Amino acid sequence: MVTTESEQMAYIAAQAADARVNVEVETDEGMTLNLGPQHPATHGTLRIVAKLDGEKVVAAEPIMGYMHRGYEKLTEVRTYPQVTTLVNRIDWLGSFANEVPFILAAEQLMEVEAPPRAQWIRTVLFELSRIANISLFLGDMAVQVGATTPVFYAFRDREFVLNQIERVTGGRFHPNFDRIGGLKDDLPKGWIEETGTVIGKMRDFCDEMEELVLGNEIFQARTRGIGVIPPEVALSYGLSGANLRGSGVDWDIRRDANVGLVYDEVDWKVWTHPDGDSFSRFWVRLQETREACNILEQLLGGIPAGPIMAKVPRIIKVPAGEAYVATENPLGEMGFYLVSQGDLTPFRVKIRSASFSNMSITPWLLKGVFVPDIISILASLYFILGDIDR
Amino acid sequence: MAEIPEHLLKRAQAAREKAAAQKKAEGEDSAQSEKAEPDEEPEVEVVLTDENAEAALAILETALQGKILDSHIAPGRGLWIRVAIEDWRSAAKAAKESLDCKFFDWLSAIDWMPSPYGREHETEQDSVTAEPEEHDEKEMEWGYTGGETRFQLICRVYSISRKIGVMIKADLPDSDPRALSLIPIYAGANWHEREAREMFGLTFDEHPDLRNIYLPGDFEGHPLRKDYPLLSRRMKPWPGIVDVELLPGDEE
Amino acid sequence: MGLVESGKIPKPLTKLLNMSRRYSMWVYQWGLACCAIEMGAAFASPRYDVMRLGVIPLPASPRQADFLVVSGTVTDKMAPAVRRLWEQMPDPKYVISMGSCANCGGPYWDSYSVTKGVDQIIPVDVYVPGCPPRPEALLEGIVLLQERIMNEDMAERWKGDPIVVE
Repeated sequence: MVTTESEQMAYIAAQAADARVNVEVETDEGMTLNLGPQHPATHGTLRIVAKLDGEKVVAAEPIMGYMHRGYEKLTEVRTYPQVTTLVNRIDWLGSFANEVPFILAAEQLMEVEAPPRAQWIRTVLFELSRIANISLFLGDMAVQVGATTPVFYAFRDREFVLNQIERVTGGRFHPNFDRIGGLKDDLPKGWIEETGTVIGKMRDFCDEMEELVLGNEIFQARTRGIGVIPPEVALSYGLSGANLRGSGVDWDIRRDANVGLVYDEVDWKVWTHPDGDSFSRFWVRLQETREACNILEQLLGGIPAGPIMAKVPRIIKVPAGEAYVATENPLGEMGFYLVSQGDLTPFRVKIRSASFSNMSITPWLLKGVFVPDIISILASLYFILGDIDR
Repeated sequence: MAEIPEHLLKRAQAAREKAAAQKKAEGEDSAQSEKAEPDEEPEVEVVLTDENAEAALAILETALQGKILDSHIAPGRGLWIRVAIEDWRSAAKAAKESLDCKFFDWLSAIDWMPSPYGREHETEQDSVTAEPEEHDEKEMEWGYTGGETRFQLICRVYSISRKIGVMIKADLPDSDPRALSLIPIYAGANWHEREAREMFGLTFDEHPDLRNIYLPGDFEGHPLRKDYPLLSRRMKPWPGIVDVELLPGDEE
Repeated sequence: MGLVESGKIPKPLTKLLNMSRRYSMWVYQWGLACCAIEMGAAFASPRYDVMRLGVIPLPASPRQADFLVVSGTVTDKMAPAVRRLWEQMPDPKYVISMGSCANCGGPYWDSYSVTKGVDQIIPVDVYVPGCPPRPEALLEGIVLLQERIMNEDMAERWKGDPIVVE
């Protein structure tokens, strides 16, 4: 093939431009590093543009919106039962937990209360989805600092939990099981005993993770003292969940502002860690998974008998009003601000998702860290793209 | 929609009896106050139950010295206040300083204009038509604490020490919806304000960087405004127009 | 080989080459949304173990990949990147569209920011339905793709210019 020199130059320039997408771009001052939108450490489609001075990050700017699906607009044209299908998919690792705050907000406005049995089963499934969610974090965090094995263990043991969720709801991922006024179905026969064994397996998994990861020298070196968030800063950025408790703020919605779930009935503990670094966030999540096992064990022993559905009208119209209900989801506080005008569809739904606020601290947090720490800090903040972008 | 069937009430009552006695009292009170307040009564008559919220409101009233235009307490569910847009930042400051609301929860806006397209999924047209069906012009109805203009800013802050969340609302002028940024008080407001700017077309003064956060830079329109149409719905009718699901134990 | 240009690859040779291609596929994981986790479960978990199908799930870049799994919602902001990634892959390349969102928009069929189907921007060989599909469904999709590769006429496939979708 005969080409002119200018054609060749153009070709080379095009190839270079192509190659530059995910590597370094030199600018006048220092270098710009582009991570994502397709990068293994970004859990999908987050993009981070970092300005570097040598190995140090001068400024980092997350660019999101690659997974923005317009939930808040879509809820305005969906009827209430349809909305749960949609909000399932916000935090796709702990899907059942997404439905609960929305349903509770609608129940508050309708002045319906789910029967006790439904509330207990809701709490059980809520905690199961917490384990399903955080167990993957435990594996993933290890991957981000260089250990590949734990993620295989996480995927292996997570399947047991998903199986249990599937046996009740019919869906591994998106159960869509919660209804205004109760639940779709009762527990299948023999489920409680089986879940008991699964809890035992998850406890073993936690022990395994602790031995494998937590005591590891490399892991400690990569996370101790890295990405420290003081409690005041964490509060003003609206961090929630384990990120807040990892900074030493003793606050858990399950204990302090519980709505509609039965956490008051069981004896459990909120774990905090004073350090505020990546390690403490991992540690808190690990303890929380164990605590979820404890909660589950107590809950399973005491599920009351009775109906699982309150009487609600066939066609659900929620009376006019406003309600904000937040729950302690695996990722942090997830809340639904529901404005109804007595229609078939919500008038406005503001979704307060945990990861959005948790990630809003990254420009502050990534300033001055080293390049490899970007990855471990991001992993320890633990975000899910659907939860950021909605 | 206000009336609740008898049997439902009885059942709810039975469920409540199992719950703790204190919780039961709260539940009944909220039921009463809800019925009494749909036409935005002055707050003091209705609010007799939530002492925590009342105390918080009293503190805010002293701190803001008559700048609270309206307030609402839903017992056990929180506190709503409305301030003028000029006092937006000072209200947040007062909440942070006097009420110890250090936790910045979220910030957003509401477009109170009824959607000119209705809900769009009632449309049964198969073909693409230029204009949607005509709907009756509806009046704007505001939620708790009332309102005067189309856009309302809303922000929730939470006090961990007092365990009370405060919703602060402010009306935005129709002609030029702009407000002061809350970043100096709550650093976390940054992204929330960017989102509100993008979704509603509001402006926040003193905000360092009001770029789009979600949508591509050349996106036209502000999706969460009620007059932003979802064009896909015009192309295709909603497959499930009526959503009725049999409840468990309910046979036809 | 001049055989491809002349269109005269002997049948047994085609079959042999196709068989080898079929069982040595490198997959580039394009994890976008919920489906990415199910894809992860299929590719990374010992329970589903995709490697027994001869699929290697860990290429470092799209330039080493034989096929691409688009798993999850493609938004309008993401679409150019998907297209660019696909363009970086060497021919012959195949695409599996996993999940309702990638197939047609799924639950976001009326959203203002979602691309209603990844086949608007890249050609898709196998569609795996479900929201999200189970890992087994993805494995079935891979088996279908392998069958397709097996029955492919190489001369036909590699003749002329690469496939371009407008």
